[in-house]
Amino acid sequence: MTFEGVNQNNQLLILTMRKISQVATWLLLISPFASWSQGKVTLSGTITDKSTGEVLIGAAIIFPGEHGAGATTNAYGFYSITVPRGNYTIVSSYIGYVADTIHISLKDNELRNMSLTPMTNQLEEVTVTSTEDNDIIAAPSGVQKLSMAEIKNVPVLFGEKDILKTIQLLPGIKSAGDGKTGFYVRGGGSDQNLILLDEATVYNASHLLGFFSVFNSDAIKDVTLYKGGMPANYGGRLSSVVDIKMKEGNNRNLEVSGGLGLISSRLNIEGPLVKNKGSFAINARRTYVDLFTKLVSDTSIKNSKLNFYDLNAKANLILNDHNRIFLSGYSGADLMGLPGRFGLNWGNQTATFRWNHLFSNKLFSNTSLIYSNFFYNISINSTPNTISITSKITDYHIKQDFNYYISTSNKLDYIGTNNKLDFGVDLNSHVFSPGAATVSKSSSYNPVSLQKKYGIETAAYISNALDVSEKWKVVYGVRVTAFSAMGPGNFYSYDPNGNISNETAYASGKVVKTYINPEPRLDLSYLLNDNSSLKLSYTRNVQNVHLLGNSTNSAPNSLYIPSSNNVKPEIADQLASGYYRKWEDGQYEFSSEIYYKGLQNQIDYKNGATLLGNENVESELLYGKGRAYGWETFFKKRSGKLTGWISYTLSRTEKQIAGINKGNYYPATQDQTHTIAIVGIYNVNPRWTLSSTWVYNTGNAVSWPSGKFSADGVPVYLYASRNNYRMPAYNRLDLGATLLMKKTRTSESSWTFSIYNAYNRANAYTISFQQDPKTQAVKTTLFKIVPSVTYNFKF
Amino acid sequence: MNKINFLLAGACIITACQQVVDLNLHTTPAQVVIEGSINNAAGPYRVTITKSVNFYQGNSYPYVSGALVIITDGQAAVIDTLAEVSPGMYETHSILGRPGNTYTLQVLLTGNVYTATSTMPQPVSLDSVTFNYATKNTIRADPIGIVNYYKFTTYVNGKYLNELHTFEDRLSDGRYIREKMDNDTTDIKKGDDVLVSLIGIDKEVNTYLREAQTIAYDNSNLVAPSTPHTNIAGGALGYFSAETISSKNGYPKRSNP
Repeated sequence: MTFEGVNQNNQLLILTMRKISQVATWLLLISPFASWSQGKVTLSGTITDKSTGEVLIGAAIIFPGEHGAGATTNAYGFYSITVPRGNYTIVSSYIGYVADTIHISLKDNELRNMSLTPMTNQLEEVTVTSTEDNDIIAAPSGVQKLSMAEIKNVPVLFGEKDILKTIQLLPGIKSAGDGKTGFYVRGGGSDQNLILLDEATVYNASHLLGFFSVFNSDAIKDVTLYKGGMPANYGGRLSSVVDIKMKEGNNRNLEVSGGLGLISSRLNIEGPLVKNKGSFAINARRTYVDLFTKLVSDTSIKNSKLNFYDLNAKANLILNDHNRIFLSGYSGADLMGLPGRFGLNWGNQTATFRWNHLFSNKLFSNTSLIYSNFFYNISINSTPNTISITSKITDYHIKQDFNYYISTSNKLDYIGTNNKLDFGVDLNSHVFSPGAATVSKSSSYNPVSLQKKYGIETAAYISNALDVSEKWKVVYGVRVTAFSAMGPGNFYSYDPNGNISNETAYASGKVVKTYINPEPRLDLSYLLNDNSSLKLSYTRNVQNVHLLGNSTNSAPNSLYIPSSNNVKPEIADQLASGYYRKWEDGQYEFSSEIYYKGLQNQIDYKNGATLLGNENVESELLYGKGRAYGWETFFKKRSGKLTGWISYTLSRTEKQIAGINKGNYYPATQDQTHTIAIVGIYNVNPRWTLSSTWVYNTGNAVSWPSGKFSADGVPVYLYASRNNYRMPAYNRLDLGATLLMKKTRTSESSWTFSIYNAYNRANAYTISFQQDPKTQAVKTTLFKIVPSVTYNFKF
Repeated sequence: MNKINFLLAGACIITACQQVVDLNLHTTPAQVVIEGSINNAAGPYRVTITKSVNFYQGNSYPYVSGALVIITDGQAAVIDTLAEVSPGMYETHSILGRPGNTYTLQVLLTGNVYTATSTMPQPVSLDSVTFNYATKNTIRADPIGIVNYYKFTTYVNGKYLNELHTFEDRLSDGRYIREKMDNDTTDIKKGDDVLVSLIGIDKEVNTYLREAQTIAYDNSNLVAPSTPHTNIAGGALGYFSAETISSKNGYPKRSNP
């Protein structure tokens, strides 16, 4: 995209914006709050990084002399605060940046953009008592944030720093295990996490069957994870929201960086489109695991294909003080297989166009147009059967969000000043193509095309964040979602034996079934003193897109199905409460939270269910309820030579489904009783940084045999009940070291060494039961000790 | 998908892989296992009764003697009480298998009654047996518009190869079907007499054998492994099948590589 092109379009865009602007001004006039703000002035603007021009999300503006009144920047770096006229001292701050103090005389509304200088050395980090989102005392409950600097230093497999792997070290968030896709949040399944990349849903966030996430950390600016108390602007999944924002790119200078690793390399280019006004960033990553398989003498492994790539691109342009546009996209895929025998490819594409508009210095608007696609393709070439199966899910999504910064008080203090109204609407159209198989002429199979399924998900929300007093903060709101299963297509009803009892054909555009669900959200904080707080939240979430796994392994050939006449929306009600404390100006943090979740319309499989190529897959499902509860505790040291954290979770997750285990509660697969993670990062000197991670968790619940018998002469196993055993406990130590070779103002290079599974433990990936020559249990381990080295550069 | 696991196994070549582990598996009281069939070839037909054992015991399943076993043909009004020819093995006297007929099995054993019914499908012919290195292909034409369920058995020089291999035409209705029978390379050698049978079975028997097959060979990949659903009522495991048999011989020209 050239800059000229953008500029021409600007004219048009600005014209449209003016029209909308007029409507919004009118909206504001009728707003009951408008008349309250007489005699006061509004300070607003954007806070950015001084060196790159990247906006800072969740940075704080504080009026230190005024009872801690202040504001934080939104997802686009915008803040707005209304105060009485006067002279003020203002501190702007953000974690990892040097706080900036300014003296300002506010007589009129003022637009003040600020920029902060990043600290050159993480060791010097100073935390400011503030309302910033990073502060454990003030942040809403259930929010977990990790800075990219923290993620950078945590060792992971093959030295690839990885956002999704690192958040699994936080309390309440559990790994599904080596070689398994996904993670579990507070007992939810791996399909109950809403993973957003610049607002686009990423359906399959893993590469290489779960060893890596699709998020190239070079391209990522900010990660926020909500495991409870989700703000009302998020919805659609039961257990968590992982909101990932891509870097906008440096709008000051052109910058090239990258890394050369044993199995992958990365290259990033970012720079200004228009100096200080617009920037772009392109990040590419490619792996070459198959180079290793070439070393093996076994021909079938030698010829195998095993690689993936990611491409992230983003551009933004500030049109004027009131308008800014962003365009971002992601494309990535995995290619694996044995040429001529079989192939398995899968990947995601997303694209987001966003327009930020300031209707006034109090009303911020963002409009997003979002596209998201996930596909997989399996081809099997086994003479005489040549089969190719393609499946995908595509979303077209439009979203309108408003942040309205209300001010109702004439005094400058907590009450009334920190009062924000968020509202918006959301329309998402899903198209599910569950599978189409093409076959060769001599094949034993018929070509199959499972009918497409269509769903329209609409939502409207309103939420108010209010500091009721100096002690009490409340965020309350409601999201209302409506999901409609749409024609065209044939819809079936089933009798208890799974046979079709009724069939109805619906034309295109006809509504088959609509589910409307209000989702109330409430989050209360009570400040006990400057260093500790109590929080309580209640959240209802509704999920209308359900994932049916074909097997326990991490193959991407899972089936997504929408809510329908048979499948009802899954509902989770979560109540969570916690105590938070910090010491020594936030150098140490402690939190302890408990939660209880009640789950409705949970899905499990009938014994012996067949999902592959099955038009009547809904007849293989059973529905019931679930419950999950637990205690999470977290201790973190944020600064000094040694930083890191310890997290521990004690939890239980159970399901109760008629038809399984005589209708009694049974442990869900992801029910891990104990989970521990210890992360330590030690800065030896300015050149060397050492790090280590140790994790332990109780094994997942599994169904294992309790005997055997003969079927046509073959030993077959006898199962007493569902999930009646535990996989062996998982534990692992990873070590890492980073050596900074040289660092100047403009360039930097470093070596990262890491050892995955340092004490060479054989953790179980699967345990299978075999006859060879007697019946025995065989454990498969994916990774024992794996050393790796990566060279990183930036200039 | 087995092939994915195969690739994953490829991924762990650098270091790891597989080891036998001793698990503390529960034990359950021994359960009665009844396996019986009646087919469209000449009798006598056989019913075998054994018991289940604990996982770590050997693969010899105790035979169960002293049962009263009856097979009934509803259409032909024939009732055949089987004779126990050796411990746990029961054989028919006079009953004949006919496609389309429904047969009932009744077993009386220590005060329990076990019953099952099965309807014999219409016969489908096995076309040919060919050899392809380690595998042999069997070829047949599947009748259009009828849901067919099959199992395969293989005898090498008269010796039964223990195997579970089912096939249903859910995705193949009306096709000319070529199915690969993967065998151990040591099972079949040049000059052997290989007898492959295509056995038409009914839906319930297919369910039992298909589930048994996935549990025997692919248990670690199942979302919900469980004991196979039997067509025998009364609490026994096993199956009773009225089935059709079509067999062909094949003579491999060379041993497997």
